[in-house]
Amino acid sequence: MVYIESWDDFVEKSVQLFRSDPEKTRYAMKYRHCDGKLVLKVTDDRECIKFKTDQAQDAKKMEKFNNIFFTLMARGPDGNVLAHYCLSSSCLYLGIRVNRNSEFRCNAVNTDISEGGGKEQVEAQAPRRGRGRKQ
Amino acid sequence: MVRLQPDPFLNELTNMFERTTEKGSVWVTLKHSSDKSKVKRNKMKTAGEKIEFKCLIRATDGKKTISTMVGPKDHQRFQWSYATILKARMTALKKRERKDKRKTADSDKKQDLKKQSKPSN
Repeated sequence: MVYIESWDDFVEKSVQLFRSDPEKTRYAMKYRHCDGKLVLKVTDDRECIKFKTDQAQDAKKMEKFNNIFFTLMARGPDGNVLAHYCLSSSCLYLGIRVNRNSEFRCNAVNTDISEGGGKEQVEAQAPRRGRGRKQ
Repeated sequence: MVRLQPDPFLNELTNMFERTTEKGSVWVTLKHSSDKSKVKRNKMKTAGEKIEFKCLIRATDGKKTISTMVGPKDHQRFQWSYATILKARMTALKKRERKDKRKTADSDKKQDLKKQSKPSN
């Protein structure tokens, strides 16, 4: 059981694990209200990584992480998925990128977790604008 | 293990969170699954049939376990409802203490400045 200190490392390694073995990898979350603790675990039954916290801000990060994994697991590891962290507003927008030139107007961190290549024709969703510049 | 539809699953998940407020934990597990046995999957592979994958979600409070399957078309709606439940229920986590730390750091700085200015007089 390896506890990872850095959130970004945890996210990156989890996605790598999933992509390396989508059939075996699972993501488990444990929440204890009485202790105020949250533990996330991602494992493929060979390697295991964990992240524990008692901070409310990490719960928000976890929500975004959940969205990444929901998409990966429902659609499969082959889709081109761009996880869009909309930092200016509290909502999370998960966009499905059809081509490499699509723009997102929010000033946010774009974590590209796609593997490159494989331009599948996935239904494009209208990009939601964040609280950036008004056009 | 009770297999439910996505909406009853969410209701039951909310109840689980309510029950475990004083004592206990809630585990939620996500997995990429086709809901078919390995034998059947291998047969389908050799036959060239496309295997449909979904997201299997399980939740337990240590005593009761519930599960549901969410496909690619309804996963966005499900993840939005799921996020709403989590936001409403995960209230026991600590809020940020940065503001308090900043206040104490600022007051310390002010005290240091005062001390430095005094000996010059």
